[in-house]
Amino acid sequence: MDRTSGTVTLLLLRAIPHVIIFLSFLVLWEISIILGWIDNIMIPKPTSIAGSIFKLYVTQGIIYEHFFITLCEAVLGFCIGATIALTLATISSLSGVFKRYVIPYAVVLNVTPGIALTPVVIAWFGYGMGSKIALGAIVSFFPIFVNTLTGLTQVDEERDELFRSLRANKYQMFFKMKLPGSLPMVFAGMKIGLTTALIGAIVAEFAQATHGVGVLMSRFSFKLDMASSIATLLSMTLIGLILFYSMEFLDDKTVFWRRENRLTITSRKRKQKWLKANSLKR
Amino acid sequence: MVLGFRAFQGKHTKRIISHALIFIALLICWESASNFGLLDEYLYPKPSGIFHSFWVIYVKNASIWHHLWVTIGLVLLGFVGGSIAGVSLGSLVGFNPTMRRFLQPYIIVIEATPRIAVAPLLIAALGFGIQSKVAIIILVCFFAPFINTLSGVINVGNDKLELFKSLGATKRQILVKLVFPEALPTIMAGERLAMTAALSGALVAEFIQRDQGLGSLILLYSRNLNMSSAFACIFTLTVLGFFIFKGMEILDRRIAFWTYEAGRIQRSNKKARKTLNLLEVGHG
Repeated sequence: MDRTSGTVTLLLLRAIPHVIIFLSFLVLWEISIILGWIDNIMIPKPTSIAGSIFKLYVTQGIIYEHFFITLCEAVLGFCIGATIALTLATISSLSGVFKRYVIPYAVVLNVTPGIALTPVVIAWFGYGMGSKIALGAIVSFFPIFVNTLTGLTQVDEERDELFRSLRANKYQMFFKMKLPGSLPMVFAGMKIGLTTALIGAIVAEFAQATHGVGVLMSRFSFKLDMASSIATLLSMTLIGLILFYSMEFLDDKTVFWRRENRLTITSRKRKQKWLKANSLKR
Repeated sequence: MVLGFRAFQGKHTKRIISHALIFIALLICWESASNFGLLDEYLYPKPSGIFHSFWVIYVKNASIWHHLWVTIGLVLLGFVGGSIAGVSLGSLVGFNPTMRRFLQPYIIVIEATPRIAVAPLLIAALGFGIQSKVAIIILVCFFAPFINTLSGVINVGNDKLELFKSLGATKRQILVKLVFPEALPTIMAGERLAMTAALSGALVAEFIQRDQGLGSLILLYSRNLNMSSAFACIFTLTVLGFFIFKGMEILDRRIAFWTYEAGRIQRSNKKARKTLNLLEVGHG
């Protein structure tokens, strides 16, 4: 208890210079605009950005709808892309022939900037959420595919030998060696895929949409309402942070053996479970 | 040489032929599906239609060339600007621990922001024209070289650093002979990422400012439901992306040659020959 409060105060102490520098930067910014050194229209004052954040989130509350629509688009697109990528990568790791015939197409898809498909995807799936989800899926496919494939095919040789010397069958080899071994790589790919899915959704919204943060952003900036568009940009950052940290959380939960403290906690839990089960049997 | 050629002829040609057969079969399926009305021809263009529009936009009307050069120029300009900014700022921050500590929260925030999203803001701030497009690309491809330079500079091995210091190397020698070569492979990896990002950035900039460039051409064609021409442009981008990818790989092999086995052997052979020549000259 004492130790944790100690670390908290240490963290707070460390944060103080950061906060001071940030605040003085903001004050400097504000003053230089008030004195007319920087153009007020192009670069808005920090107070007016804060004001438009307040307006967007509290008084008008118009951002929530757009925020959740973009979030949903990114997550759904990511889910579809990830499902296809994981399936294809798993099949190609199991079958060499399939891999040989799938990889050229995957490489072509990788080399093409996925964003180039935006207008075509919009023509196919319409102006609604469908086109954004589809673009998110296309864009997030490749990083997940490549990472899963390398994770599943690059097996530690010693582990492989151990499993074979213990006469593990094919299913055991896959589920107990290859799959857990590939998980760190898979999660690294999924993190990249999730961010790219968000980018895909936002770019599709720029091109043509009725709802979403991207539309809001382009509306504000074409009205030269820079304060509101920076506020919208900050909410995009918020979406990015939410997505990234939820993926990080999942990574932490699933690939627990990569972090020392998570490893000890999980193994202790499993040990207790095991002990309980065994004592019940006796 | 001969052996390699034989191996190439045997297994390789067979594989290439089977790949080509499958590809052609796919094309035929697609073509007949749209001929029989299973696929809407307006939305999902036939392969023959795409080939025809390739011919039209490259040869008959030759309308694509201008846009192609504009996009390539934009990508190169933005890439050079972004990577210079990224590498210099990255090394600046990497050598300066205090600065690193204070910039870290901002770096995390910027990393989470989808950077392409700043495009409309930049266009509003800088006005229509090439300057805002280049600014978008610089912004998009700034980050990967920055982060990679930073991590490359930070992660120089302590043992090596100690060795250099114990041999009395000056700061400049440490920089030129240790830190720079150590960080270069990581930096090059960042540059590769930046180059792909630059292409996407250019496209997004052209989607928003629809005056010229491949992005605006794709948008125009798909708005007119001229999907086969849009696809011809997209496949052009595929080829462009492929060349960019290969070009960066070759550049990487040239610059950071010691990360590749073959490059290392070649270079060391060359150096050995040079020294031998020098020795012979000396003897003569």
